[in-house]
Amino acid sequence: MAEIELIGVSKAFKDGTLAVNDLNLFIPDGKILALVGPSGCGKTTALRMIAGLEDLTSGTIRIGSDVVNDLDPGARDIAMVFQNYALYPHMTAYQNMALSLRIRKVPKAEMHRRVHKAAEILRLEELLKKRPREMSGGQRQRVAMGRAIVREPKAFLMDEPLSNLDAKLRVQMRSEILRIQQELGTTTVYVTHDQTEAMTLGDQAAVMRLGVLQQVDTPQELYRNPANLFVAGFMGSPGMNMVEARLQRTDDDLVVEFGSHRLVVGEALKAADSVRAFVGRSVIVGIRPEHISDASVETSAPQGSRLRVPIELREEMGSEILLHFTVDAPPVLNEDIKEIHADKEPDVLEALEEQLESRRSVFVARVDPESRSRVGDMAELVVDTTRLYLFDPATGRALGTEARAAVHVTN
Amino acid sequence: MTKPRRRVLGRSRKREERSAYLFIAPWIAGFLLFWLAPMAISVVLSLMDWDLLSTPKWIGLQNYAELFFNDRTFWVSVGVTLKYIVLSVPLYLVTGLLLSLLLNLKIRGITVFRTILFIPSILSGVAVAVLWVAMLNPDTGAVNDVLRQIGISSPPRWLQDPSWAVPSIVLVGLWGIGGGAIIYLSGLQNIGAQLYEAARIDGAGAFQRFRFVTLPMLTPTLLFVLLTSLIDAFQVFDTAYVLGGSQGGVGDSLRFYLINLYNAGFVGGRFGYASAMAWILVLAAAAVILIIFRTSGRWVYYEYDPESER
Amino acid sequence: MSVATAKPRPDADGAGRNRAYPLATLIRRRGKRAVLKGAAYVILLALSAFVLLPVAWMLTAALKPDLVSVFTVTPQWLPTDHWDWVNFRRALFDTLPFARYTFNTLVIAGGNILGTLISCSLVAYGFARLRFRGSGPLFYVLIVTMLIPWQALMVPQFLMFFKIGWYGTILPLIAPAFGGTAFYIFLIRQYMRTIPRELDEAALVDGLNRWQIFWRIVLPLSTPVLTVCAVFTFIYNWNNLLGPLIYLNNDSQFTIPIGLANLVTRAGTPWNLLMAANLLSIIPPVVIYFVVQRKLIGGIASVGLKG
Repeated sequence: MAEIELIGVSKAFKDGTLAVNDLNLFIPDGKILALVGPSGCGKTTALRMIAGLEDLTSGTIRIGSDVVNDLDPGARDIAMVFQNYALYPHMTAYQNMALSLRIRKVPKAEMHRRVHKAAEILRLEELLKKRPREMSGGQRQRVAMGRAIVREPKAFLMDEPLSNLDAKLRVQMRSEILRIQQELGTTTVYVTHDQTEAMTLGDQAAVMRLGVLQQVDTPQELYRNPANLFVAGFMGSPGMNMVEARLQRTDDDLVVEFGSHRLVVGEALKAADSVRAFVGRSVIVGIRPEHISDASVETSAPQGSRLRVPIELREEMGSEILLHFTVDAPPVLNEDIKEIHADKEPDVLEALEEQLESRRSVFVARVDPESRSRVGDMAELVVDTTRLYLFDPATGRALGTEARAAVHVTN
Repeated sequence: MTKPRRRVLGRSRKREERSAYLFIAPWIAGFLLFWLAPMAISVVLSLMDWDLLSTPKWIGLQNYAELFFNDRTFWVSVGVTLKYIVLSVPLYLVTGLLLSLLLNLKIRGITVFRTILFIPSILSGVAVAVLWVAMLNPDTGAVNDVLRQIGISSPPRWLQDPSWAVPSIVLVGLWGIGGGAIIYLSGLQNIGAQLYEAARIDGAGAFQRFRFVTLPMLTPTLLFVLLTSLIDAFQVFDTAYVLGGSQGGVGDSLRFYLINLYNAGFVGGRFGYASAMAWILVLAAAAVILIIFRTSGRWVYYEYDPESER
Repeated sequence: MSVATAKPRPDADGAGRNRAYPLATLIRRRGKRAVLKGAAYVILLALSAFVLLPVAWMLTAALKPDLVSVFTVTPQWLPTDHWDWVNFRRALFDTLPFARYTFNTLVIAGGNILGTLISCSLVAYGFARLRFRGSGPLFYVLIVTMLIPWQALMVPQFLMFFKIGWYGTILPLIAPAFGGTAFYIFLIRQYMRTIPRELDEAALVDGLNRWQIFWRIVLPLSTPVLTVCAVFTFIYNWNNLLGPLIYLNNDSQFTIPIGLANLVTRAGTPWNLLMAANLLSIIPPVVIYFVVQRKLIGGIASVGLKG
């Protein structure tokens, strides 16, 4: 078991583009770090460099006390779980798990003990004599985990290990992985494109975009206090509502104006220097869906936090309701947003483009199931303006982050 | 082309490279010993007069000059080979295709027929020739027996008739046409069913479907079969050797190019002369292949580029 | 049953669904299909007879006694009262030495299979999986050698082997196999490239070195293509005439093809025994063909595609 450190790690492809650009990461011993981002963000390349499957163009990788830059994967004392499991098709589950021990000339009895222990942990004792093709996807996944466990390595490296499973199994295996990781206390780097997985699995999560690390923090912090527009937009589902607005001073208040709507910025944010610098300029306003509620339920809200908007779609989720409504201001569609939606949701981008043309944005509110707002209604919604997010439209940098940190402490 | 940028390889890449050269070492050695060295020797040899025992004598292009201007049997062998190519290649191409269409029918027991018809193509040229030399015996062979039974009173004398010798070999080759048909068959089975369905919906009849779907989609296979059967036709030896001996059969009627080459070198001991003949064969074959490749773009349709992966 | 709405398919067999067709059309269609099918069977049967009858004729010829000429004036299609199965034994052991020829041929074929499998799988792995400078050009050279007929090199190769004293031995017929055969290398490489690269990577992480990955992972997974190569190599060597003809000079070393070819050209050949020997000689390839038929045709098919 060991800590892992990446110092200024870069990877350039043949054409000169940087797949990973000056990556610095530190994973403390026994912790699990989720490396998350859309496809092409360099997360897998980073993982493969830690594994030794890709050479570094520059930088240093340390596992425990050893700099491993020039070590072969087998010499790094790490184990990897691959996206498609990469089980040896001609070997039984037992042989798959035992191979690395055989290569290392671990005594037979010890090998036997370790394989059976791993099988016990993973509840796959009865599979040991089967070959991969006789197993289900979930079983293969377990064997792949078992192959990593028997090594008792310094670290686990997992490359989207659950993405080939169906949704239900994925949730189940996710908690399984978490349980095993905590039981063994093995330092783990977990690559995923799924922010939910990153949120639930990581002690920490690192968000990457186009080879550049955006932010590392606990999942909660990433969600509550994103460093920039990209992280804010990437974390959370449904995603943060965003719209371009003007930041204005009226009397004692700071307000953001977009379309026919005005929201009064909360006290803490108002006090932040980085926010004040933008008075009279345009900013991007972000509102998490759960920070919008139905005024008919939340009756005490002041005027500066209300939105009168037409409801477009009502999704009953049981414990909550998702209200989709339109705002008469164009949506944000910059490179960050495009990058977030590029790989998995091309239709989202199309919808955004359409909205941009008609200069209106669709927002989502996650409201109390008591809400009686119907499609077609003009509904009165209330925004928790202490939880507004503001971003610099030019750089995407979050404004007033210092203030929000304070809010979250007092909460 | 990648930029001529030279980057120092990582240590693990260097190790990978070292083991790579170890893995391909057998072929490198084999290539140098059994291809490159013989080719170099062969070029030099073709400019020499050497019978293996006496000292080799440098004679420049004399071997080539003699072949072209002063060797009747050389031109006989060229003629026999060309006659064979002209008779066999188009015939095999068409009959193989027709047979494959037949074997592609989805009817009961078709795999049995496929198996039976493929058998001759795995037999040795010698075994087939031995069989047919007996079958084609003009007086006592089974072929002429059958022909006489059906009323042909004076059937061809086959291998003993110089004008029938080459056609005989072509007919013997027809016995093994199943081998070529199997290759067409795999080509046929790779044509997507939707193409036929689309053609059907467009109102194409059976012949039109063949003309506008099967044939164009099969052109890569046709090219492959054309090339391999041409290369094979340049190199006829076993059958001709058994049916006509090393002296080229009755009246040189079976003096194929390779028979003549073998005769000059390994029977006559003129190794320089044989080398010159080998080079002419290689150049002629290369020219034909090149011409076919160059013109193939006009009639070969690829659904996708099979080489794009590398 | 929805007669009105169901669109009749021309080749559907269900009578109900075809009711939309006038009866006459139906009969005409069915009849046409039946006739075509019948014609196909007739042609296929005729072709099968064309293939099998000569083999059958060879058998009857092989069973005839010495005194009855194979070439009787009116050929007998059946050996009537002579069923001399002993002819096969005589071809192998007593009168003709085909048992020895068979042994010699097997030794050469075995050596070639061994050499081919070892060298070609190693080289193919190098080209399929490892990155090294010059891999592209070297592979191109390999492809080019595939197009150069061996016969073009047989004279200088013969002289080289003659010089080092290998003339009259089977070594020149086996040694080149250990240098790899371009075609098989190509075939195996193509196959190995279909094995997921993640397996190599998983093995690297598991601590296997390149050799262990080759030996424990890639090679066991390549058995189908290796079988194809072994079969091709066997059949090629079993059938090869020219190579042994050039290098072997002693009857005790001769292979089956030389033995057969020599007998044909020699006067006074016992044709019944020759036919028996010929028949025996075609048994191993045919048997192997039946055993590995599926893989073999798959292999040929893949070759056809790459053309």
